[in-house]
Parts: sequence; C-alpha cells; structure tokens
Amino acid sequence: MSSQVSTSADKPRTALVGRLSSWLEPLALLAPAGVWLGLLLVIPVLLIFQLSLVPGIRPGQVVNPSGIENYLQIVQEPIYLRVVLRSLMFALGTTLICLVLGFPVAYLIALVVPKQWRNLLLVGFVLPLWTSSLLRSYAWITILRPTGVLNTFLKAVGLPAIDILNRPPAVFIGMSYSLLPYMVLILYASLEKLDRRLLEAAADLGANPFQAFWRVTVPQSLPGIAAGCLLVFITGLGDFIDPELLGGASSMTMARLIYNQFLGVTRNWGFGSALSMVIILAVSLAIALLLKYGDRSSANL
Amino acid sequence: MPRSLLWSSRRQFLTGSLTALSGTLLSGCGWTLAEVRQDAPKVGDRNELRIYTWSNYIDQVLLEEFIGQTGVRVIADTYDSNDVMLGTFQAGGRGSIYSIVYPSDYAVAKMIDLKLLAELDKSRIVGLENILAKFQNSQYDPGNRFHVPISWGTTGLIYNSEKLDPPPDDWDYLWQHQDKLSRRMTLLSEPREVMGASLRSLGFSYNATDPGELKQAYARLAELKPAIATFTTDAWRDQLLAGDLWLAMGYSIDAVLVAQENPKLKYVVPKSGSSLWVDTLVIPANAPNPEAAYAWINYMLQPAVASQVTERLLFATPNAAAYDQLSTQLRDDETLFPPDSVIERCENLEPLPQKAEEMIEKYWTQLTSG
Repeated sequence: MSSQVSTSADKPRTALVGRLSSWLEPLALLAPAGVWLGLLLVIPVLLIFQLSLVPGIRPGQVVNPSGIENYLQIVQEPIYLRVVLRSLMFALGTTLICLVLGFPVAYLIALVVPKQWRNLLLVGFVLPLWTSSLLRSYAWITILRPTGVLNTFLKAVGLPAIDILNRPPAVFIGMSYSLLPYMVLILYASLEKLDRRLLEAAADLGANPFQAFWRVTVPQSLPGIAAGCLLVFITGLGDFIDPELLGGASSMTMARLIYNQFLGVTRNWGFGSALSMVIILAVSLAIALLLKYGDRSSANL
Repeated sequence: MPRSLLWSSRRQFLTGSLTALSGTLLSGCGWTLAEVRQDAPKVGDRNELRIYTWSNYIDQVLLEEFIGQTGVRVIADTYDSNDVMLGTFQAGGRGSIYSIVYPSDYAVAKMIDLKLLAELDKSRIVGLENILAKFQNSQYDPGNRFHVPISWGTTGLIYNSEKLDPPPDDWDYLWQHQDKLSRRMTLLSEPREVMGASLRSLGFSYNATDPGELKQAYARLAELKPAIATFTTDAWRDQLLAGDLWLAMGYSIDAVLVAQENPKLKYVVPKSGSSLWVDTLVIPANAPNPEAAYAWINYMLQPAVASQVTERLLFATPNAAAYDQLSTQLRDDETLFPPDSVIERCENLEPLPQKAEEMIEKYWTQLTSG
C-alpha cells in the first residue's frame, strides 16, 4: 500500500526533475550571455533612462527622477529637431549610397568572379576597416580640400574644381567610405546563397536578364538588403567623427550633441541621457521592424 | 553636495548602482551621479608614477631622464581637452590612478571646487621662486595653493601673411574682410573661446555672464558664420600650410609649430584682447603616489630640465631661470613670449555660473547646427 503511494507520488516528481533538467541545460548555456547583457546592457540603459528623467542633472548631484522636461526640451526647441533631422539625413543618405554602390560589388564577388578570387577580393574590401576611422577622415580632408588630390586631378584633366570639403557631400563621402564594407559583406553572404536554378528557370520561362534580376535575385536577397541597410543606418546614426571633421560649420549631429552634453561646457547629463534614449529607442524600433517585416519577406519567397 | 555612495571597485559600483536603482524606485530618494571617491589614498607602487597630461608636454627623453634621476617609472596618459580630463575624474574610477595631472587655469578652479585636488606642501617643492611674478598669484587659484604653472600661452589668429594684406590685427578684421575670407578661415571648436572672441570684439569680457551681452555676441557670430569653413581645434594645420585656408583661430603653441614649417604663417594676438591660458601641475586629492608626484614637480622646476623641454617641445615656460637658459632665437619669439603690453590685454577664462554656461551651450548648438 505504502509502496503504491510512493510510486504514484514519484511519477510527477521524476517528471518535474525531467522538466527541470531540460530547463537547466539551456539556462546554464544562456547564463553567461544573460549576465553579461544584464549587467552591461540592461542595467546601464535603465540607469540612462533614470538620468534622463532628472532635469538638468550634472555630475556630483543627487539623482532624483522628477519629470520629462529633458524630453520636452528636445521637442520644444526647433534647434534640436533640426539636429535630429540632420542626423537622420546623414544616416539615411549614407545607407542609400552604400546600397547602390555595394549591391553591384557584392553581386560581382558572389556570382561573377571565379571562386578562387572571392576571398581575396573580400579581404581587400574589408582592409580599410583595419585603419583608424580618424585617420580615414583626415585622409578625406587631404583628398577633398580645394587644392587637394581630387582637385589636382580634376584640373589635370581639364575639369572645373569642386569645393565640397566642409559641406554635407563630404560627410556622405566619408561615411559611405567607412560603412560600405559592412554592406558588401552582408549582401555577399546573402547573395552567395542565391539559388541559381531559379534564375535558369526564369530564363527558361522567357524572362529577360533584367526581369530575372528584379523578380528573382532581388526578392531572394531582401533579408540581406534589410540587414545591411539596418547595420549601416545604425552605425551612421552614431558616427560623429565624419560629420565633425568633414561637415564644416553647420554639421551638428545627435552623436556630437550627446558628446557635448556629457563632456562639453555645460555637462548636462540629464539632457544628454534623454537624447541617448531617443537614439536607443529609434534603433530598437528599427530592429523591431526588421524582425517583423524581414521575416515576412523571407517567408514570402 | 552629498556624497553618500563610494565606489571602490567595479563590483561595488554595480551592486551600488543596483541598490541605488532599486532604492530610488522604491523610495524616491536619490543616489549621487558620478561619485567622486573620498576615501583614503591607497598606497600605490612606489616606483611607478602615472601622469595625465596634454600630449605636447611629454616626450621620451623627459621620461627617461626622470627614471635616471629618481628611479621612478612614469606612465603617461594623454587627453586633448580639459573637459575630457574633468569627465574622467568626475566619473570616478580611472581618475584615481593618477598622481600628476596637467589641468588648465579654469579647470584648476573647477577641480578645487569639486575638492579633487590636494593642497601642495610648498616646503617639499624646490625652485618655486623661479616662477615669474605674474604667475605667482592667479585668479583661478589665489595664492597658488593647489598648482604649479608649467606652460602658458595666448589665443589668437594664425594667418597667411602672403595672402592677407593688410594683416589682421583685431577680431574685427574677421567681420570687415568676411567676403575675402569666406570659407578660408576656421575658428576653434571651443564654445568659450569662440564666444569670448566675439564678446571681446564687442568690448565685453571673455567671462561675460550678462544674457544681453551673450546674445549680442551670438548674433555677431551668426553674422560671420556663412564665411567660416569649420570649427576645429587642430584640423586647420595642414590646410593652412597647403594654402587652402588663410586664417585660423588657434593657440600660440600651435602657431609656433606651423610657423616653423612655413615662416609666412604669422601669429597675432588681437588688439582688443584675447584669452591667456596657463597649464599647470596639480596633485589629485587621492593620488596613489604623492612622493613621486612631488619628485616630478621638483624635476620639472629644475631650470635646466625646464629649458631643455621647452626647446624640444616648444611651449612657453613661466620659469624665469629656465627662460634665461633658452636660445636667443626662442627668447625673442614673440609668438611664444609676447611682450607684457600684449599680456595685459588678455584675460584668464574663469568658471562661469551654470546659467551662463547653459546659454553658451545653447548658442553653440544653434551656431553649429545652422
């Protein structure tokens, strides 16, 4: 009798232990990353959020969240909105340029170039990333300045000189140059997996090469395009070296504004935190959209 | 200012911020942002001195000679703006490893205010009497209780004397020749300096706090802005040398360097006045190795050392005995050592009340976002 009771009671217990151990393994595997993310991402973001709720807090003052004045300040001052718009313009423009320039390159490397050359070409493309981004910006100053490399060349071939240093085009050039390798790498990864039989099938069914490209290749690489654009956009939004060095007198961007709030004259960490939260939210939103629509487009294939 | 939480290790910082966070969420009472450590200085390695300095005050020869004299190994980290240096100290942690720092005048005042500095024991310092009288008692640290001046200079205009005739002599020149200088001039990327220049051109003080005066200064800069190529503290050098720029607002020590490469580049301190800055040696309140810090100060005060390092790195020493040992060429260089009549027209940058700082910051954002 008693043994019967114990066996019937044992059943759910072993099931429970079984369920626990099936949880334990993934938990143990995820724990290091979870702790890492918790301590170095979640908590800092929460702290920044808390700071952003303290109007005008400076180092050494007591943190006492009291309201959303810092956020109102961003919205109310037209000047800050202009800064936000300029940052978005630089980031979006750079994304577009990188896509237009990067897609043919990735296509070429993934589908046209013989296999033994691919890795070499890819390494060549990534090579500029090994130098400091500051150095690359200074190099662009040397190239773009009125008597620089570019204008010397233009003059030599009889074209009129162009004066674009310290103007927005210079920022687009500098940022696109810095971020193009990311775009190419991601597009390459996605184009490499392209199913060529579908292209042959399209040709068999009477599609001309352009139709095949537009209706077969592009839809298949859409997830890659989305991921590449997102990466370039996010990195571009946070770039402050290129706008600062190449953009001239009116080149204030979000990243530089945040830098000034934390290390500049006023040291208004509350307002800086509010600006940071806006960027964090914008980036999170972009990622959420990608997860939602990126998956759907790949499911459509 | 209450300083309730003391972080002494990263772990403590994390648990501290956790408790602080939950504490604030639960009770609404505050924690203190970016705590400054106030605990007793920990005993560091006696044979190691960490200094935090501007990149242009240190070279290998200097460090090696110091090891030779004292046996103490120096590790130097550099910063490129006072604000970055202050940020390091205000954010706690990393600031506490340094025993010698090189803040500029107004940063000294701020650090005194934040109780970050140790008062100097003058009985342990040899050679202070060699410092020029005009640097013995400063506005930013009356009685020089916390600092020893190590270098000084002015802010002014560096220009291409071939292209600009008549040469610039005052801030007003920028406005008068706005068309000629269009996109051929740069101003410093320092809000205080740029606003100060505009304030001086209007006859106000570099340290003006009156909202009306600041507003006028901003309006004047906004008028000049279309002609300004960019705001930069050092990216102008190559472009000025290459002839793409004709005029740059800059510091006297940078002017000396470009003038060495191209003698046609001249430097002028504007007639209506400019800023006079002093870089100093200070010992942080919780310096791990104050012994070595005093040794470093005494070493830098030795006339022979000070004059040699001045010759090598080209900055203006406030040390009269060292000045006497300099080559005549350097002594007569009016960019580095302007006559007293020029210095009298200049002001030290002083810390401003928060309200004025906020106005300057806002005007700066307006100016640079166009």
